[in-house]
Order: sequence, then C-alpha cells, then structure tokens
Amino acid sequence: MMRAAPSQEEVRRHNLGTLLRHIHLRGSASRAELAEGMGLNRSTIMALTSELTAAGVVREELPRDTPRRAGRPSLVVRPESTRVYVLAFDIGVDRLVAARVGLGGVILERREATRPRVPFDPDELVGALAAFTRQLVRRTDRDAVCVGAGAAFSGTVRRADGMIRYGPNLGAIDVSLGNALSRRLGLGLTVSIGNDANLGALAEHRRGIGAGCTDLIYLHGDVGIGGGIIVGGRLLDGVDGYGGEVGHMVVNPSGRRCACGSRGCLEAEIGEHALLANAGRTGAGRVGRDAVRAMVDAAARGDAAARDALHRAGDWLGLGVANLVNVFNPGMVIFGGTLRDIYLGSAAQVRSRLATSTLAAPRERVKLRTAELGDDTTLVGAAELAFSEVLDDPLEVLARLRTTAAGRLPDRSGSNA
Amino acid sequence: MSVTPVLDLRGVGKSFGPVQVLHDVALSAYAGEVTALVGDNGAGKSTLVKCLGGILPMDSGDYLFEGRRVRVNSPREAAELGIEIVHQDLALCENLDIVQNMFLGREWRSGLVLDEPAMEELAARTLTGLSVRTIKSVRQPVSSLSGGQRQSVAIARAMLWDSKVVVLDEPTAALGLAQTQQVLEVVRRLADKGRAVVLISHNMNDVFAVADRICAMFLGSTVAQVRASDVTHAQVVELITSGRGADGPSGVPARMNGVGRARRGDEAGPG
Ligand SMILES: Nc1ncnc2c1ncn2[C@@H]1O[C@H](COP(=O)(O)OP(=O)(O)OP(=O)(O)O)[C@@H](O)[C@H]1O
Ligand SMILES: [Mg+2]
Ligand SMILES: [Zn+2]
Repeated sequence: MMRAAPSQEEVRRHNLGTLLRHIHLRGSASRAELAEGMGLNRSTIMALTSELTAAGVVREELPRDTPRRAGRPSLVVRPESTRVYVLAFDIGVDRLVAARVGLGGVILERREATRPRVPFDPDELVGALAAFTRQLVRRTDRDAVCVGAGAAFSGTVRRADGMIRYGPNLGAIDVSLGNALSRRLGLGLTVSIGNDANLGALAEHRRGIGAGCTDLIYLHGDVGIGGGIIVGGRLLDGVDGYGGEVGHMVVNPSGRRCACGSRGCLEAEIGEHALLANAGRTGAGRVGRDAVRAMVDAAARGDAAARDALHRAGDWLGLGVANLVNVFNPGMVIFGGTLRDIYLGSAAQVRSRLATSTLAAPRERVKLRTAELGDDTTLVGAAELAFSEVLDDPLEVLARLRTTAAGRLPDRSGSNA
Repeated sequence: MSVTPVLDLRGVGKSFGPVQVLHDVALSAYAGEVTALVGDNGAGKSTLVKCLGGILPMDSGDYLFEGRRVRVNSPREAAELGIEIVHQDLALCENLDIVQNMFLGREWRSGLVLDEPAMEELAARTLTGLSVRTIKSVRQPVSSLSGGQRQSVAIARAMLWDSKVVVLDEPTAALGLAQTQQVLEVVRRLADKGRAVVLISHNMNDVFAVADRICAMFLGSTVAQVRASDVTHAQVVELITSGRGADGPSGVPARMNGVGRARRGDEAGPG
C-alpha cells in the first residue's frame, strides 16, 4: 500500500516511542548514547527527552555509580519505574501471579497464589485477579499511573479480543477472558491476553538469554508444552494469534493420546502426565512442577524408573527440537518452565537426537539455553505485552489515561502533549 | 571463517620418571565456548590442567595463547595471561565473606583504607551478571554457603578478574541436583559473556548440557576434538572407553579423526 510521507507530527510520535522503548528495554542512558543508538542528533534527543520528562515517564539526573571519573559527568535519562507501571498476570495451571511492573521492566510488587486442580471457573479466576489488583493498586504512590495490563494464559488465545479458544490443561473453552477481566478491574484499561509461551519467547528475547538473537524458539513446560517462535525479531503467531503450538506437533503417531484428541503430540509424550506415569510416580499430591523436579532429582540419584522416563523424554524432546531446527534454523532454543529441569537432566539424549536427526547446516549455529528469567519468564512477557501500547505512542496514551479513572498523573507544567 | 583459539596446546608430552602420562595431547579452547575435557579415570585430564596452569612443566609440546607461543612456568604466569583454574577443592577461605574471597590478594584501596563499598558493589554486580540469584548478601561468610553457591563464588571470582580462560575441574561432582543445575547455568553464562571455558566432567549429561566442543582423552592421548552438536552420547562414551569412534571409521564424523595434530581453521567459529 502506498502511503504519503509521514507528517512531522507522526515522526515526532514515532521518535518519542522509540526513545521510550530504548530506555525501557536497555535501561538508563545518556543523551549521547541515545543519539548514537537512535541515529538522531543531540538537539532532537534533547527535545524528545524534555517532552517525556514533562510527561513524567522519564527523568534526567546525574549518574550514581561513577565515583572515580574525572570531569563533569553527563546526565542520564532514567525510566520513572515507580510512577509508570503496568499490571501483569500469569495464569498457569497450578499458579496465579499478579504483579505491578514498572517502566524498565522492574517487578515492583507481586501477589501469588497456588491454584488447586479443580475445573476452570472464569468468574472465580477473574475475581481472584481483581482482588490481587486492588491490593497492588492500593499501595502505589499517589502520582503513579497504570498504563496497561496484560495476562499470560496457558492456552490458545485469539489475538483480536483476548478470547481463550482452548486451554486443555485448565479446561477452558471459548472464554472471553480479556473482556471479563477488563470490566472487572474497572481501571479504564483493556487487559491484553496472550499465550504464555508466546509471551515467554518475547520476554527472553527482550530481557533474557535471547537478547540480541533475532531468531529463537522458546519452549515452555507447564502441565503441557507450549512454544513461542521469534523470526527476524518478530513473534510468529499466525493469522489469529494461535501460532507456535509446538506442544501439539506430532512426534509419535502411534504414541499416547493427547488431551487435544490427537495422538503422540510432543505434549502427550513429555508433558507432566506422561513423565510422571512413565516414572511410576503418579498418585495423590504428585502433580505440578515440584513433582516433575522430584522426578528429575530421583533420576539423578539413580532411581532407574525415573531415569528411564527422563531419558525417554529427552529423546522425544530432541526429536521435537530437531524438527524445529530443520524448519526454522533458529539461532537459539530456550527451555523454560519444567523444560529447564528436563533439558538439564536429559541433555545427552536431546543433543544426541539433534546430532542424528537434523540437517548439518541449520544445526550449525543453534545454541541450546535455559531461560534466564527463571520462573518469571511468562510474567515478564505479560508485562511487555501490557507496555506495548504506551511504547507505541506515549503521549497519546498518557493523555487519554489522564482523563479516566486510572489517570492519576499530576498536571505538570511544561507538558505540550 | 576461522577463529584463533585463546588457548591452544599441541603435542603435549609429560612423564613422571619412567612413566609417560601424556603423549601427543592437544586441547583448544575458544572465546565464548565451553570445551568439555572428558576421559576415564587416569586418562590424564588433571595432569594436563596442571601443565596448562603452570603447576607442572611440560616435557614437550607447544603452548599457544591467543596465537602466540608462550611459556608458563608457574601459576602466577598463568594468572598473568588471564588463565584462572577453579580447582575441585576450590581454595575459598571459609572464615572470610564473599567479597573478601573474591578480592583476596587483589583488594582495592582508596588511600590507605580498603574501598569496601566499591568492592561490595562489584562483587554483587558480578554475581548478578552470572544470574546467581540465591545468594542473599555478599557479606555472608563462605562457610554459610551451599556447595553450588561456593562454586558460583569461585566462578564469579574468575569472572571478576577478567580472565580469558577459566578451567573448572569437576565443578559439579559433589553437588546435589538443584546446585548442579545452577552451576551448569553459571558455567554457560561465563562462556556466553566471552570467556573460553574448559570444563572437566565425568557426567556426560552435564557435558552435553553446556559444551560447545568436546576434547576426549584416552590413556594419556587426545583421541578427538569435536563439536558437541555433531556427536551422540554413545559416540563420546565409545571414545572415552576405547579411544575409537562409535561405529568404526565410517560411523564417525570425518572431523573426529586425526585430531591429535593441529587441525585449526577448519571449523566455523561461534556465531
Ligand atoms: N605425581 C605423579 N606421579 C606419578 N604418576 C602420576 C602423578 N600424577 C598423576 N599420575 C598418573 O598419571 C595418570 C593420569 O592422572 P590424572 O590425574 O591426570 O588423570 P585424570 O584424567 O585426571 O583422572 P580422574 O578422572 O580420575 O581425575 C594416572 O595414571 C596417574 O596415576
Ligand atoms: Mg582428575
Ligand atoms: Zn495434542
């Protein structure tokens, strides 16, 4: 589509967003570093930073940690992390997390609850998250402003409206979670929902082990297996947002029945149920991440059944990764959630499979890594999703919030938004 | 694209009296990579590490550091080149805290007094940089740390001193699962931050979890130096136990053969 050249106003908005994104992702920077990083001259940077400062999203101050240097240190631009924040939710099978995450990606405060394995009840879930939110928001400074909300959900989520289409391990089908949550929070904000593994990929790409890697695959183990694929720096999530479901890639056509109805999906072979069953470790209370860890631990201590189950899982995991390596030629494959433990415990099997089942060329440069953000990967991803709107157009979003219930930004003089 | 290894030992020989313990040993280690040094008990791994660390003199062979021929006649000379060895028994001082251990013998001063805040901050920043999250305070005495945390401190010390090569002799041998996993991740980060890491381990799973290259020794000789992504677990076990590739000559990737000699520049470097 042909477009007219962008107007000066569009350029300015774009630059404001780019500068804020830079500070948000890479932390404090001097004007000179920003000029260098964004390819703009210093007077433009100065104009942009003063606008963002006036809007209360960044501040300029002397650097704290250069005691030894001679000469006058230059000012650094810092994110206003405690004043500008988002709400991030992580809805896992066994765990609910809500957090206030400040600009720059700092987790300011969090609430967490374990979820019993009972049938999914959207009203209850929304109620629990709303209660957490009230506690989190109550404790903010008077001049803090919530600029977005995002949730990571373990299931397939429609991008357009945050509708949960399918979450087999939570037992959710066609739940309009995004709308329900937005209404219930009553902050005048739309809660964006994303698939947990897709958001995990985003988080590790922006803030974790995958920073600087443009092509990566994040594999997330919860009860099931999720995946998020980043190609050329962008999340590959398909027409409606359902892409990346590598857990339902069939690796063993005559294998175990999967909750999705298919047979021999990667998830059916190495998900929590299969792992624990193969190791003979089923029974009351033996569920969740702790049970998987206990099984990997038993394998390390020489429990033969646990070891065989773990090795078998490594073999299937290697086969799954081999397929992905051949198709996507990723620079990195990242194992998160329970897959971190499974990979570290069965790397010999995973990599042997890779050596025998991939083409040599696409395998050459792939790095296998564990998630750097640990248990917070999906939560951090939800926060990134929540920040996307304000980073796209900081002044517009802030101006809008200022006129709603959530807009608790002080009226600072000098703002020309 | 060919890359010069940071550390490159070739044709190393070493005898104790009449017993020749190392013959024609080769080991290359590259910046940004973990090279696993594997071999059965008595294969000569620790002897090789003592030679490269300047604790034992080599009888013969070439020692190249960043492409230059060097002589390393003492641990001090190794340290001056930027080679840190984390021995299995670690040599941390139990009664000192983490900061004191990390700066031992190389304390920062501000005038006559030690610059405690600066050392403290750098110690904490180094541990954070390696994603070590379980240590609560850098003022804890080392005696209060778990085995995995101690390993992490020893590795962080190597990191702090800007070493180019870090050699870890069986860092996970005495650890439980959670600590082992933590140390493996720290080892991987150390290489990802640009160090050349040499990891000695008997645990093939640990080797495959983090290694980019594998150097296999058998009865005092190097029998293969391979990229870890090109071999299977079974092939490496076969190399260690018999000194041969798994399925005989045809089953072994071509570049696994003839590696006692110099074969540099024939592999793509790290990405
Ligand atoms: N000071 C010494 N005098 C005589 N022989 C020695 C000496 N040090 C080592 N050896 C011998 O050299 C050989 C190699 O020993 P080395 O300790 O290097 O093996 P290793 O590969 O490290 O084994 P492990 O895996 O058990 O640690 C062994 O046969 C050992 O007995
Ligand atoms: Mg030894
Ligand atoms: Zn399925």
